[in-house]
Amino acid sequence: MPHVEVLPNSTASIAPGWTYVVDTGYDPSKVAINPKNKKRAAAQPRAPRGDGELTSRQQLAIARRIAELNRDNDPKQAIEIPGKSAVPKTQNARRIIQYQRQIKHWLDDEEAQLAQLQQAPQPRAATTLSRLGAHPSRRTTNLITSIPPTPSEATTPAPPSTPAPPKAQSELDDEPLLSVDTSMPPPVNPAELQALLSSPPLPYAASYAAPPPSNGPPRRHFCDNCGYWGSIRCIKCGARVCGMECKEAHEATRCLKWA
Amino acid sequence: MNDDQDYTATMPPKGSKRASLAAPSKTLVLDNGGYTLKAGIVSSANSEPSYDTCAVIPNCIARSTRDRRTYVASELEDCKDFGELAFRRPVEKGFIVNWEAQKAIWDHEFSGNSAGDGLRCDPKETNLLLTERPNCPKELQKNCDEIVFEQFEFAAYHRSIGPVFNAYHPFEPNSLFSLPQECLLLIDTSYSDTTVLPVYNGQLIQAAVRRLTVGGKLLTNYLKELSSLRHYNMMEETYLLNEIKEAVSFIVPSYQQFEKHLEQTWKGRVGDKRAVDPSIVLDYVLPDYEHSIHGHARPHDPAQSKLRRGLQPQQGPKEDLLPLGNERFAVPELLFNPSDIGIEESGLPGAIMEALSVLPEAIRVGMMANVVVVGGNSLIPGFMERLDSELRALIPSHYLLNLTRAEDPIKHTWLGAARFASQPERLKEVLVSKAEYDERGSAWLAKKFANT
Repeated sequence: MPHVEVLPNSTASIAPGWTYVVDTGYDPSKVAINPKNKKRAAAQPRAPRGDGELTSRQQLAIARRIAELNRDNDPKQAIEIPGKSAVPKTQNARRIIQYQRQIKHWLDDEEAQLAQLQQAPQPRAATTLSRLGAHPSRRTTNLITSIPPTPSEATTPAPPSTPAPPKAQSELDDEPLLSVDTSMPPPVNPAELQALLSSPPLPYAASYAAPPPSNGPPRRHFCDNCGYWGSIRCIKCGARVCGMECKEAHEATRCLKWA
Repeated sequence: MNDDQDYTATMPPKGSKRASLAAPSKTLVLDNGGYTLKAGIVSSANSEPSYDTCAVIPNCIARSTRDRRTYVASELEDCKDFGELAFRRPVEKGFIVNWEAQKAIWDHEFSGNSAGDGLRCDPKETNLLLTERPNCPKELQKNCDEIVFEQFEFAAYHRSIGPVFNAYHPFEPNSLFSLPQECLLLIDTSYSDTTVLPVYNGQLIQAAVRRLTVGGKLLTNYLKELSSLRHYNMMEETYLLNEIKEAVSFIVPSYQQFEKHLEQTWKGRVGDKRAVDPSIVLDYVLPDYEHSIHGHARPHDPAQSKLRRGLQPQQGPKEDLLPLGNERFAVPELLFNPSDIGIEESGLPGAIMEALSVLPEAIRVGMMANVVVVGGNSLIPGFMERLDSELRALIPSHYLLNLTRAEDPIKHTWLGAARFASQPERLKEVLVSKAEYDERGSAWLAKKFANT
């Protein structure tokens, strides 16, 4: 939303009765009473929730489930290492061996360090890194345009040459219909290639593939109980089921209403 | 360092101050995966390493509450009862996190009496070539470097992103193409996750690496969750469910086929019961760990499941059956449609296209002509066919698409690394000796490995 501020000047006078305001689409005069009653609030026409949209509770449940499916070690089960282990050889090695942290702690640490780099104005290397973290998709173009061609171009590998059969010298060479030039991709700019090859690794979180395109096929829904198409939505928690039988099983076991 | 004959062959060029610190000729090549570690010793003497040199060892410490025994790594072979077996894995999301467990496993496999003959080595006289997965947090890399030199004291060491070594495979035996391969698009679909890695002249294009959450671990856990919901509680039976997944799962060739199979495996509604199609539905005979250690699948028999429910008196030996219907294909389907369980990613073909979109067009063309798949999930029947047809639909028709699965997708990365290690001149360039580390420290080492 644009920020509107009245700048003080000599001629301005605050006139009573009217003022310019930013039109945000919300008109208090058209809202009769703010309904405090839940029933009335539910009866109010509201922007309908899209078919694919999820409540925050559902999103949380999905995120929790994926984390559970993707877990490597069960923190509840501590398995001791059998036998007597040798004494670590250095203080440093002892420290590392005794770490009880899990991968999420390390990844959180990395995230935090990146955020710190982003806040503090840093030399160029650091800013490109943090920018990459923020816009993983835009990173490469930034990099390519920002890095001037390096003097070490002589060492850059030659652009890939498709192994073409030796051309037979004939009058057909000039024939435009037989020309392969149009189907050949443009040659690689060595500076661009060098910038690409020397780009730093992405932070772990930025390396994940992008979400499916919004114009792609819609998400498929399956029965929460038997795995067939989930055509019916559970009223209580929004999960999908295929029929009455599965609905009963769902309510008895997995319904998230009380989760 | 005391074996003169060994290092005269790899003596550094004259003028080097540290002639006496030449790297030993033996190299331990270690692909330290989340599920198994792939290890073998390569020496420059026998120049052509093969799959046979590679040992695949479970990278875990397992504890059985039934026989009250703890199994470290390869000891798991002796295990006779996988029921309720609990695992401790040092590698999480592909990165070595718990060094206490990892050290115990390395100690067990590479030194001491427990080590196998082919793998026993004295770190002080051995180089280590260790692979890691891409996008590793820097702190974990630092821990790894410090442990390798300060605790294990390897003579020399190199750490690099594992899948990249696949560029060192010749296209065919005695092929005249120079190595590393110029353009290689590597797809590594492994236990921890699935990654797409464009490799140019043996160098990873880091900005184009893309990763999917779905890996073998997630598939096993998903099958475990589904079976527990629909049949028996199997939440503690990770080993068994992994075995079942490997035995029965398959990937449907197309969306239409998926729809059809889903229809065939549906039990129907109340009042509209349908018989499931026995060509898809299987019964898995669960092991009882008395007469059998491993289970097996057989065609579904509706009469048997009635027996199981006690509707008819049981005859013959008692056996427990786990019927498997749409689980067989809906579980590995997650590799292509992660959004089926709500993961906000676009699936393997989408991730490949996303990785390619970062590259200039000329390189993209080269990459598509040489796509190689490694990793255990590629062994699921139908994987390659599905990936091929979906990719072909996404790339422009005048581009060549050449998609191959490695001969042994599990050991292929190791073999690439072993081929790299068997060439002394390549290896010498990247190895860092312990003396250098002691002199310059781990921050310098991290920078050096980041640049190679």
